[in-house]
Amino acid sequence: MAALGTLSSANLNGGQKLAVKFFTVAIALFGAQVLFGMLAGIQYLKPDFLFGILDFSVNRMLHINALVVWLLFGFIGAVYWILEDESGTPVVGLGLGNLMFWVFTLAVVVVVLVYLLVQTGPGELKSIWLINEGREYIEAPRWADIGIVVCVLIFFYNVAATFMKGRFTGIGGVLVFDLVALAGLYLAGMWYTPNISMDQHWWWWVIHLWVEATWEVLVGCLLAYGLIKTMGVRRKIVETWLYIEVALLFGSGILGLGHHYFWIGTPEYWLAIGGFFSALEPIPLVAMVVHAVFDAGHHKMKSANHPALAWMIAQAFGNFFGAGVWGFMHTLPQINIYTHGTQWTASHGHLAFFGAYATIVIAFIYLAVQKWRGNVWMSGNMAGAWRWKWAMFLLHAGMIGMTMALLIAGYEQSHIERAIGGSTWMAYFEAQAGPWFQQAMTWRMISGWSFAAGFVLLAWDLMTIGKRETRPAQLPAAEAAAA
Amino acid sequence: MSQTQTQTLWWASESFWKKMAVWITAGSAVVLIFLTFDTVKQITAGGKRVPAYSVINNRIDYVFDEKRNHQVPVIGPEEPLFGKKLTEEEAMALVSKGKLTTQAKNCMNCHTLLGNGSYYAPDLTKSWLDPTWGTKQLREQQMVDFLMNPQDYLYNSLGRRMPNLGITEEEARATVAFLKWMSSIDTNGFPRNFKPIDQTDPAPDAAPAAPADAAAAPVQQ
Amino acid sequence: MIVEPVHLANFFTVFFSAASVILFGALYALLFAWSRVRGRPRLMAMAYAAYLGLAASVVTLGYAANLFNSGFWTFIVLLMLVGYLFAPHAIWHLCVGTHAEEDEMVKISQPR
Repeated sequence: MAALGTLSSANLNGGQKLAVKFFTVAIALFGAQVLFGMLAGIQYLKPDFLFGILDFSVNRMLHINALVVWLLFGFIGAVYWILEDESGTPVVGLGLGNLMFWVFTLAVVVVVLVYLLVQTGPGELKSIWLINEGREYIEAPRWADIGIVVCVLIFFYNVAATFMKGRFTGIGGVLVFDLVALAGLYLAGMWYTPNISMDQHWWWWVIHLWVEATWEVLVGCLLAYGLIKTMGVRRKIVETWLYIEVALLFGSGILGLGHHYFWIGTPEYWLAIGGFFSALEPIPLVAMVVHAVFDAGHHKMKSANHPALAWMIAQAFGNFFGAGVWGFMHTLPQINIYTHGTQWTASHGHLAFFGAYATIVIAFIYLAVQKWRGNVWMSGNMAGAWRWKWAMFLLHAGMIGMTMALLIAGYEQSHIERAIGGSTWMAYFEAQAGPWFQQAMTWRMISGWSFAAGFVLLAWDLMTIGKRETRPAQLPAAEAAAA
Repeated sequence: MSQTQTQTLWWASESFWKKMAVWITAGSAVVLIFLTFDTVKQITAGGKRVPAYSVINNRIDYVFDEKRNHQVPVIGPEEPLFGKKLTEEEAMALVSKGKLTTQAKNCMNCHTLLGNGSYYAPDLTKSWLDPTWGTKQLREQQMVDFLMNPQDYLYNSLGRRMPNLGITEEEARATVAFLKWMSSIDTNGFPRNFKPIDQTDPAPDAAPAAPADAAAAPVQQ
Repeated sequence: MIVEPVHLANFFTVFFSAASVILFGALYALLFAWSRVRGRPRLMAMAYAAYLGLAASVVTLGYAANLFNSGFWTFIVLLMLVGYLFAPHAIWHLCVGTHAEEDEMVKISQPR
């Protein structure tokens, strides 16, 4: 047994050893996301920066692909992290899982190198197979698509087989079902059609149903596990609420797909369906608020991991503002016709992805680091606690700054380019050249530097937190009560 | 909450919500699948909302419709692209080549298409109808020239240019076909208030066409 | 199913009232639950004041986004007014119901 405060895989179970590998790559890709986002942001201010070498399209593609993949790696890691504990048995087929990790990571490296070095291809099917599919978020070439599906299937096998061998809990059941949907939906984005309406129709099946349905439920499963472990809430209650959440999220989310079908050639009835389900969207949020207050009144919260708890609280707020407030502001078709495809979307996207997903993955990585170092003290009076606090502050200040700046830019665009100018090229550039837009881009960049500094601090903190700590972790409420 | 209750209320029980989760998810999925069948039928090329690819043989306009309260694409008289009338198969092959080009050149990570994509460059939904191309006589060639050497054209005061993506003439023509076809899709009035290029035929004795508005024509560097 | 796009002059009102709908909705839910947890009726009065803010925001949004021009969109406005009023009540009942047997001594096994 290694000394307290030393990183040692002896402190982890099999699934957790694999999980920390995924977390490591996730943080590296988070760094790549920040880097390429910064390059793209600079290009808004200095269009000749890296022109013809690393164009905006390449930086932006890497920015959003790194986002999707780092969150996916974070989620996969988090599931492996809880798997043995939740099922009560070692991971079935762990060797295969390990192989999958290396194959997946290698594939990501190859895809990124091709993006950087080859960038574009001739207008033929082979470009889509080998270089870049050219469809936002799912640009990965077809060979990589197939690889991703195979990797997710191996992941699914690990999870399903482990639960089947051990305890098939309610959380396990929802998780297994959710992973089937996750893998299945990806197939909807894997075929070519010359018809752009058809293309985007199926494309949204992947993007919307992943992000606004299956990912949300996956996070729900992780949070449910966290509640049982850290707050000692009874399993039966947590699982009942997981089912309630699934009902609310899928009930409002699946047909919520409609709000992406307003303007892409799809029939008019989607305007009504999209509007109706947009009005339902706040209901799961209301449920979370009421239930959180109820729980806070009945359980004394005593966290053994302050950074993780802080990031989980950030998740609640981030999800509420990013998805709830920012989403609802421009979701009705009456206004969306002017905001669709402007920086409004970028503003909403930044806050929602960060608030709802980045936060929870970061929280899980803090939990992992704690255990990796032999379950060290991570409560009050930690040595070097300023690092996680400043990292969190800089990341949030940066994100809020970027979101606000993009909101102002989008607002100006919806006026000048859309409503007045009628979306011609001239109107587009008139809006881009406007002083409000230009200043917003400057503020976005300044906020971006804050975010980048926060990321560096976060990475440093994750590598060092608890290193010189000699106290064992505070007992979580559940164990304290049982002791 | 200190009194002990042995019986959970049915509407608050785990089994009830487990069933609800399954039924609501399944119900939503079934409704979605039914709607998908109808939607796919309606957006298959050749229908009313998404015209056949051979629509590139005709003039496409974007005209306000009182009843629907927004602009709708209107298919006009025969005006074949590059002066060559194509069969449905030829048109489809050409549009498909153009679509492949837009994917292989990663257009969507600067531009938006039907409003989806990135926001660094103009939306392409109605780019075929954009007044930037000057006149309808010059349009096709202007678009091809631009796509092949975009780095030489500056459409704005920002210094923002499109990079040279190595687009061949064949790919450029196909891309124009794809853009022309895309402008015929019924998008429920998106983009709104769009001011299309003048496509009326000049009087037979009029002077040769020249850019009507110098400011609207691209500035060559 | 007619959609009458927002007039330019109403853009800000639409964004602001839509954001207010969500913020007042959360405030209402928060105060409502808090009042019940702590048993403080004065907080309940504030909760309903927040609901009034919510209702005002919904109606403002309805006017600014031209939702009263058609039956369907008017229905959506009414749905929001009624649904958001009762949602916290319903969720609260669910909380009470699901936590009812919390103090029972049935220990769910949690193997390490």
